[in-house]
Amino acid sequence: MVDVARTHAQGSLTAGRMEAFRTRALRWGGIVRDTLRNPTTAIGLAILTVIFAMAIFAPLIVAENPQGAMQMPRDWGAPNMPPGSPDHPLGTTPQGGDVLYGIVWGARTSLRLALTVVGITVLIGIAMGSIAGFLGGKWDEMVMRLVDVFLSIPELIFALAIAAALGPSFGNIILALAVVFWVKYARIMRGQILQIKQNEYVDAAYVVGESKWNVYRKDILPNSLTPIVVQATLDMGHVVLIGATLSFIGLAEAGLAEWGNLVSEGQSGIAAGMWWVATFAGGMVFLWSLAFNLVGDGLRDVLDPRTERR
Amino acid sequence: MTAFETRPTDPSAAADRGDVINVRGVRKYYPIKGGVLQRVTGHVKAVDGVTFDIPRGSTVGLVGESGCGKTTLGRLISGLLDPTDGGVYFGMPAAERRRLDELMTLPAEERTSQQATDLQTLTDGYRIDRLNREQRRAYRRNCQVVFQDAFSSLNPRQLVRDIVGRPLKAFGEASGDALTQRVVELLEQVGLGRQHLFRYPHQFSGGQRQRISIARALALDPEFMVLDEPTSALDVSVQAQILNLLHELQRELGLTYLFISHDLNVVRHMSDEVVVMYLGQVAEAAPSERLFTATKHPYTEALLAANPSDDEDAEDAEDAEDAEDAEVIRLAGSVPDPANPPQGCRFHTRCPVAVASCGWEVDDVVRVATEEGASLEGLSDVERRTPFDATLRFESEPLAQAALRMLRSDGRSGPMADAIIRLEHSGDSVDVVLRPRGDVPLVEVEPQHRTSCVLFTEYGGYTA
Repeated sequence: MVDVARTHAQGSLTAGRMEAFRTRALRWGGIVRDTLRNPTTAIGLAILTVIFAMAIFAPLIVAENPQGAMQMPRDWGAPNMPPGSPDHPLGTTPQGGDVLYGIVWGARTSLRLALTVVGITVLIGIAMGSIAGFLGGKWDEMVMRLVDVFLSIPELIFALAIAAALGPSFGNIILALAVVFWVKYARIMRGQILQIKQNEYVDAAYVVGESKWNVYRKDILPNSLTPIVVQATLDMGHVVLIGATLSFIGLAEAGLAEWGNLVSEGQSGIAAGMWWVATFAGGMVFLWSLAFNLVGDGLRDVLDPRTERR
Repeated sequence: MTAFETRPTDPSAAADRGDVINVRGVRKYYPIKGGVLQRVTGHVKAVDGVTFDIPRGSTVGLVGESGCGKTTLGRLISGLLDPTDGGVYFGMPAAERRRLDELMTLPAEERTSQQATDLQTLTDGYRIDRLNREQRRAYRRNCQVVFQDAFSSLNPRQLVRDIVGRPLKAFGEASGDALTQRVVELLEQVGLGRQHLFRYPHQFSGGQRQRISIARALALDPEFMVLDEPTSALDVSVQAQILNLLHELQRELGLTYLFISHDLNVVRHMSDEVVVMYLGQVAEAAPSERLFTATKHPYTEALLAANPSDDEDAEDAEDAEDAEDAEVIRLAGSVPDPANPPQGCRFHTRCPVAVASCGWEVDDVVRVATEEGASLEGLSDVERRTPFDATLRFESEPLAQAALRMLRSDGRSGPMADAIIRLEHSGDSVDVVLRPRGDVPLVEVEPQHRTSCVLFTEYGGYTA
């Protein structure tokens, strides 16, 4: 810090911006370092890196299906091929679908599902939770009663009902999950805001003449987000698990390159000893959920203000 | 900044400069909700009718036990809370203040329409919860707060530059390098420096954090600051540094302070005037030295007796000798429930020198009997007609007779026994009637020395 002090003593205030950037970077660097220091979190991140790479570079691994990228190509002449076959390294389904294609392009489907659903629900949840917690009173009452209605129905059943009512399509699964999942974030956000509001720095901000909106933006929001980040990470895994469940029972388009769909196609063959379809696809769902759970737990430890390094 | 230039630097001339703040009959009640329907079942009377002035350039100390409403009052004065009743007036010239007091002493129905209009004008012009946008901004700029907990009063995700520069930004005073430059000046004013600009609050010690808090409060160049226990969370050595800093700043900038604390030594060191609060009301208010040497309220005396004062002060040593001769007043019992405060003088339930006219009520009869171990056995119901008139029902007639004997032959609760004006028993019930007593007013018994103790306001003092 001595050299920094000297820089300032020389009077260069633009150096201040560098210093501000440096302090912020050090803080984030510390968080990243603490996250990676935990071996289970590192394992989770490693798994995610592989799966994300698979999703992003899908066309380089398996050529895109000319009938539609998200559609599994059908090789009607070669159903039930075991893994290791020359054209189908991971085998085929009873309908001749290429398992490798389903796995690799299914990663894209899962990523799209998770990012869309978590993105939408986090935004809705933060908005609703903020209305309830920050505005309070009548608003709080209204939002929380709505939340109670949503919470009274189990999320899987609720999502299933909505998706079934809207008809079998993957877009509808996304919509159904978005409708169901925001509630959790609204509750977390409200609780956080009620707690953060008690801090004297919120009063201090009002005292120095800050507007309500600025207090929300600069004091309340940034200090409320930690548990939302953790929950969102955990839900990235959870959403894919439920999405796979819904498409497994046939709520996605038939033949969609999606892991749940793949398990569904392969289930008829399991009894006959054709294990590979359900195992590879199910394994991907498992790895995906596991990885996000590991990372989510790691983030919880690092971001928890009680354990955050001072 | 004309306000700054006209600010005199000599605090001894305080009397001529009017008041920064006038608090008039301020009340803050919090509803207690109960039942399924969340109906209001009562009110916690956190602040219950407080009136005092804060003269420009001076320091007014506000003391009392925790839970007496001093922090709530501080928040009312700093505009963080709106009062249930009464108001806080800011920057009122002396002539207008006199006019306001004159008008407020008139009952509402006796005011002429001209007087009512005048009162309205004064209220709209100076009461902080009625100010228009522009006036409110001026008030906001001139009234700043230093909070008690230096750990929670700084946003953990902001850098010191942003924390201290925030008031300047909110008021559109500076930005960019000019803001940074100004923040450096402010930091230097509180004993910090350039090297602290780009750090997070958690990188500082408690004392340094409180300095940052003070720098932030100074940023808008205010004339008045509410110091809400600014040192109570600090080590003693650091405490002294912060107090000295506040002292110096006051001298340099001609600041006016409201200093809230539970520590009498600190208040004595800091304040020109002291206001002692008990259960939401002012018990005693006087110039600092008078309050400490010529105390006129047993509650203040009890606080002084409970205060571990330093022996190096000759005066204190003398006080200690006196205290050994006379009977020391000690605080006994617990603070009554502010949702249901005692009638009359609020301190009478714990007061060692209470007399019959302090406001003894039916609740006291039940409480004292219970506290003295002679519980009113078999008491099944208390039917109150007023706080001073009730029928106590017992399970059987012998139990009622026993209770009557107990109340008649009561030993230690002398003043309460004197306050009982009727005590009759019929069948299984006992009628108790006590001398009714309204609120005890705060009376100026000596120049600038106000007390609410009836012994001084009605009996001319007491001998401890």
